Amino acid sequence: MFSNFDYDVIVRSLPYLFYTGMTFTLLLTALATIIGILIGTLLALMRLSGVPFLTVPAAAYVNLMRSVPFVLMIFWFYFLVPYIGQWVTFSAQPIKVGAFASCLVTFTLFEAAFFCEIMRAGIQSIPRGQVAAGQALGMTYSTVTGYIVLPQAFRNMVPVLLTQTIVLFQDTSLVYVISVTDFLGAASKVAERDGRLVEMYTFAACVYFVVSFAASRAVQLVHRRIAIIR
Amino acid sequence: MNYHWNWGIFWELSPDGVHTYFQTLMLGAGWTLLTAGCAFIIALTFGSLIGVLRTAPFSWAVRFGTAYVEVFRNIPLLVQMFLWYFVAPEVVPRSIGIWLKQLPDASFYTAVVALGLYMSARIAEQVRAGILSLPRGQRLASLALGLTLPQTYVFVLLPMTYRILLPPLTSELLNTIKNSAVALTIGLMELTARARAMQEFSFQVFEAFTAATIIYIVINLVVTLAMRLVERHVAVPGYLGFRPPAAGH
Amino acid sequence: MSAMIDIAGLCKWYGPTQVLNDCTTAVASGEVVVVCGPSGSGKSTLIKCVNGLEPFQKGHIAVDGISVGDPKTNLPKLRARIGMVFQHFELFPHLSVMRNLTLPQIKVLRRNAEEAQQKGMRLLERVGLSGHAGKFPGELSGGQQQRVAIARALAMDPIAMLFDEPTSALDPEMIQEVLDVMVGLAKEGMTMIVVTHEMGFARKVAHRVVFMDKGEIVEDAPTTEFFGRPRSERAQLFLSKILQH
Repeated sequence: MFSNFDYDVIVRSLPYLFYTGMTFTLLLTALATIIGILIGTLLALMRLSGVPFLTVPAAAYVNLMRSVPFVLMIFWFYFLVPYIGQWVTFSAQPIKVGAFASCLVTFTLFEAAFFCEIMRAGIQSIPRGQVAAGQALGMTYSTVTGYIVLPQAFRNMVPVLLTQTIVLFQDTSLVYVISVTDFLGAASKVAERDGRLVEMYTFAACVYFVVSFAASRAVQLVHRRIAIIR
Repeated sequence: MNYHWNWGIFWELSPDGVHTYFQTLMLGAGWTLLTAGCAFIIALTFGSLIGVLRTAPFSWAVRFGTAYVEVFRNIPLLVQMFLWYFVAPEVVPRSIGIWLKQLPDASFYTAVVALGLYMSARIAEQVRAGILSLPRGQRLASLALGLTLPQTYVFVLLPMTYRILLPPLTSELLNTIKNSAVALTIGLMELTARARAMQEFSFQVFEAFTAATIIYIVINLVVTLAMRLVERHVAVPGYLGFRPPAAGH
Repeated sequence: MSAMIDIAGLCKWYGPTQVLNDCTTAVASGEVVVVCGPSGSGKSTLIKCVNGLEPFQKGHIAVDGISVGDPKTNLPKLRARIGMVFQHFELFPHLSVMRNLTLPQIKVLRRNAEEAQQKGMRLLERVGLSGHAGKFPGELSGGQQQRVAIARALAMDPIAMLFDEPTSALDPEMIQEVLDVMVGLAKEGMTMIVVTHEMGFARKVAHRVVFMDKGEIVEDAPTTEFFGRPRSERAQLFLSKILQH
């Protein structure tokens, strides 16, 4: 096989692969991570609030997202988002949503459930004495949470959050099932058009490997630098 | 809302003319469980082996194990499936390649192998963490008694490790079941694929996906409960999770 | 003169277990009261009820006339006026020493940053740690952390200070530096309730000693009387055990 390996097809399609495909992948990863962590932290606070009105829906949401395959959720949101758009904007027809927007909603909402569990573990690992000390100084719940608990919880969980981001980066390849052009989708399109499945998929695998591997090494470095000494 | 609901769709005949839509979904669920089950067996076997290698006192073993884990964890599952399905038949000697391409249920075997090896890397990490969490004296005591290293692993280290690992292994089993859905891209007609097919032919989008969601949730609950029973059954006295048998006869 | 801290008929249950049984005592302004007793006697729980960190089911607690148990009371505001020092210091590890001192002043008392910093520096000098303002709690010894914790509580200009076993988590050689700060506070006339085993400290500056056992106040006497002629058998037993070393 390797005698027949066509490096040229890879070289020719590099601009397409990276300008069209990889930018989609990276943008989706970055935005879904940031918004997902925000929503996830909110969900975690809801779950830990002790108020049934908040804990029950939050727990139900998180458990649902974690019970079902991501692929199924991608299909769900692909069909659901236009109807939600219709409901939110009171229009007569389901709204046509672009591929990127639909994917962003899906990934953010799905990954938020996982970020919620990470932040929940982080918040619960903060010693209760910290909260007591904040309260003894007269701080309200929001001050204690915002200035004492969340900063520490977040810093403790940064390695895990970053690892989840790498998982998110790899999960973006699943948008293939709704024929969206991310990096894998782009490689796939070139592979089918030029009949070079072996070259394109091998190349795609290598790129994913290099990025993920480098990122996880970087996470280890970050972990060492920002650990809080107690 | 312009959507036409029809919950009776499940009892209507699917395009294959033989099964109702409900039956096709059940068939899909069966394929999901079969694929996940076989893949998990591969994952446990290879994962345990690699996990053990990574804790062995030989640097070549540790390096090999680390490389294995890094390769299978840093490439997305979907890409790995494509590699096994599209690239592997081209890379092997011609005769094997031809045999592979003509295999009936090729997508099933490919999915099992791809999913199994992908999950084996994750299980390898769990096994390694589990072995490392055991007191160091365990290995030393075993060797001091004259047991060889393989015997130490088989009779002393691994039995305790697996008990410790039951909760994370349950998680990985559930992940395997969920990840089996990715195989629809290579043509495996598991549950999600069937739901998608049902949606494409009947246009009853939400009914189809709701049914699939409910089935996945039920599978999830059953597996979680079953594993909890296993945990209770194998728990060791004196460790967390052990419940003494009820007194009296 | 009404007491600064007034505790009357205090009862508390954790589920079915009663941990405080009809506790009554008062602390006048400028008084230093030491609370001692065997572990499990409820002394830490008692002191945590005073600033509302632990809820209670029966009885009254009033600080400077304000009822702690009243649902209408603004607890954060009340707590800002009472200082508390914890057994495990509970400095905020992700903030520098100076930020530990200024954050509560800025967020709770609404002081401006400059004022808060000046106050912080003055208090650091007072506890003997003025060179450590930029350090983080993890870089300080236990004794240094506890002194910073006392400074943090003092930065709020409290009317009373509560100490929950402030030296129990310290290595022996660091206990004295913390006790010295507390003695200084007492001599300046701060109202203090101190839960501690350090009887030397009690003899030196305490006006009264309260002995608790199994959730009850067994003895409540002026210091000299308590150490000279304790009335109850349980107190005598306790004293004999801890005064040995």
